[in-house]
Amino acid sequence: MASIALRLGAFRLMKVLLPGFLAIASMLLPSNASAIPLFNRQTGQNCVACHAGGQFPELTPYGRLFKMTGYTLGARALPLSVMALASVSKVANTSKSDDPSADFQKNDRPIFATGSVFVGGKVTDNIGVFTQFTWDPYATTTDSGGFKGRFAADNMDIRYADRLIGDSHEVIFGVSTNNNPSITDPWNTAAAWMQYVPVPSPTSSQFIDGASPYPGLAAGGNIAGISAYAFIDQTLYLEAGDYRTAKGLFSFMKWGLHDVDVTKLRGDNPYLRAALNQAWGASTLMVGLTHMTSRIYDDPLDTSDPSTVHRYNDLSLDAQYQYLLDPHAWTAQFVWSRETHDYPAGLVGQPSPFVDAQGNALPLSSPTDHTRLLRAKLSYVYQARYGGSMSLFDLTGSTNTANQTSGYDPATLAITSNATAAAPSTRVNGSLTGNPATRGATLEGFWLPLQNLRVGLQYTAYTRYNGARDNYDGFGRNARDNNSLFLYAWTAY
Amino acid sequence: MKTFFIATAAFAAAILAGCANPQRSRDLGNPAIAGPVLAQQACSLCHGVRGVSLSPNFPNLAAQQPAYLVAQLTEFRSHSRQDPAGYEYMWGIARKLTDDQIAGIAAYYAAQPPAHQRVEAGAARIDEGRRLFTQGAPDRGIPACSSCHGDQGQGQATFPRIAGQHGDYITKQLLVFKRTDQRPDGPAMQAVAHQLAPDDIANAAAFLQTL
Repeated sequence: MASIALRLGAFRLMKVLLPGFLAIASMLLPSNASAIPLFNRQTGQNCVACHAGGQFPELTPYGRLFKMTGYTLGARALPLSVMALASVSKVANTSKSDDPSADFQKNDRPIFATGSVFVGGKVTDNIGVFTQFTWDPYATTTDSGGFKGRFAADNMDIRYADRLIGDSHEVIFGVSTNNNPSITDPWNTAAAWMQYVPVPSPTSSQFIDGASPYPGLAAGGNIAGISAYAFIDQTLYLEAGDYRTAKGLFSFMKWGLHDVDVTKLRGDNPYLRAALNQAWGASTLMVGLTHMTSRIYDDPLDTSDPSTVHRYNDLSLDAQYQYLLDPHAWTAQFVWSRETHDYPAGLVGQPSPFVDAQGNALPLSSPTDHTRLLRAKLSYVYQARYGGSMSLFDLTGSTNTANQTSGYDPATLAITSNATAAAPSTRVNGSLTGNPATRGATLEGFWLPLQNLRVGLQYTAYTRYNGARDNYDGFGRNARDNNSLFLYAWTAY
Repeated sequence: MKTFFIATAAFAAAILAGCANPQRSRDLGNPAIAGPVLAQQACSLCHGVRGVSLSPNFPNLAAQQPAYLVAQLTEFRSHSRQDPAGYEYMWGIARKLTDDQIAGIAAYYAAQPPAHQRVEAGAARIDEGRRLFTQGAPDRGIPACSSCHGDQGQGQATFPRIAGQHGDYITKQLLVFKRTDQRPDGPAMQAVAHQLAPDDIANAAAFLQTL
């Protein structure tokens, strides 16, 4: 019954909000559809040349080469673009919560979710830039329950690239300085790119697909690194990079962020990527490996003690198949990733405030968490106008009593929450199991009435959340209560 | 820290070294860049370094008639060729090319050894395609393809080489001629294409892959 009610809710949402979205979108858009973002102005081409089926940000083989040759193809043009997202998110159950107004901010209400300014394009014959600065109107919550916006550095990739062509071999190579490991990657199964994007900040969007488990690298963005890459005979791609805390000369890569939000890395953090690419006819297939080791300080405001460092080891295997033959664009994506998280010594072996159902003591907190994530996505776009996708996610991992936010009270053997737990909410984000297992699926349909406007409706369903199908928080919240509907209009100019 | 600074210095040196690189430039707005350089560094991203494209979305250009390539690039530049593949991909690329650059690109691809396609269709379709190519269908007013495109499909002057072309590309372009006025450069082809049945198009596309 709940799912029927939700479906009816979806129809009502569509009926009421779609005209509003289109009105917003038409205000954001120029009357002349030939006005297009900065890379389009530089090459003069349509979005569909670089983006598969026009489905930004996913790249076509040509788009990948454009990126690998350092965004230098074309003629210099106005180096500015803007992007905006309006959206509505609706979580299936907002009642099982200690504080619904905090757990589901802006639920079922249309919002201007986020906006970005891009600065970039061709600089010289060998140098090109892709930088994104994002305005998040909901970046922080004030004490009075309002929101405070923030304009800050987002993705950054500044490159030098060249292409040598011989009689029987060729190589594209380059160097990039960037603030997010794998942002340099030309395939959309790379950690920084596979996610459905963007994700609005209000907590009503915390269960939409873009916020569900993704094979991200632990280091994330807002750090600073240099990587060198080569693409040999358009077959073998190799990249190696090193990342450190963004500071000194590289401070601009975390511009606008509060120090507490900046990832603080200890020393050098290596990033390695290898991929094999094969194209035949309208098909391209890529199979790749990514590895990164990162050491992240527990408290970004205190980097004085090396023993407070979390150590992460990320390894992922990814594959992408594309079939692009106008008017059809098919993409199948697959990622399997493994993460090992070693906790700093001070956080290891801590006793749990809870006991098991029989009153026996629980294991001490673990020195290491292991997680595995499987992600698969299939998408299709017709005429670069009508598209859809389906995706699956399955996160599994080791159990750690430190991750429990609720459990059995030693005195009463009744389930109680831990007031000192790190989770934002001991119900909605809570965990009775201490296990991360989260599983679900997403369906999306979208429409591109113009090449720089996408209107989409996305539904994400959970069969497992934080280790359980039912009662994952210990107080009756079930995985399916997090099922979410997400309606958006996304435009760029 | 030391390695980081070394890498930073290397990157800065690379930036300084890279201000101009006319031998390997992808600058489509600089008239000083030679046509063959643009062919290798820009056009090749879709059409291949030797004019042999992997994707049937993009035509093979190897051994193409230079006069045909000049005519097409000129028409992309002036927006008189308006088929979707043309305006989506080619208008922007061609918009600032000079006549000299166009001639250089055309000469570069004309000089490449011709492409050979993997034959996908069955013998019956290929035989029908051969008949249309060599004899036409006089009862329906369809002339032989070879009468303009050459006995080996090699083309002549502004009649393009069609031998060894992607079947999907041939099919789509014949449909553009048949159904639209988006390629006003080919009035003769429009007249022919109007008479072509879907099977004729499939047969011709199949046969041309064998040349």
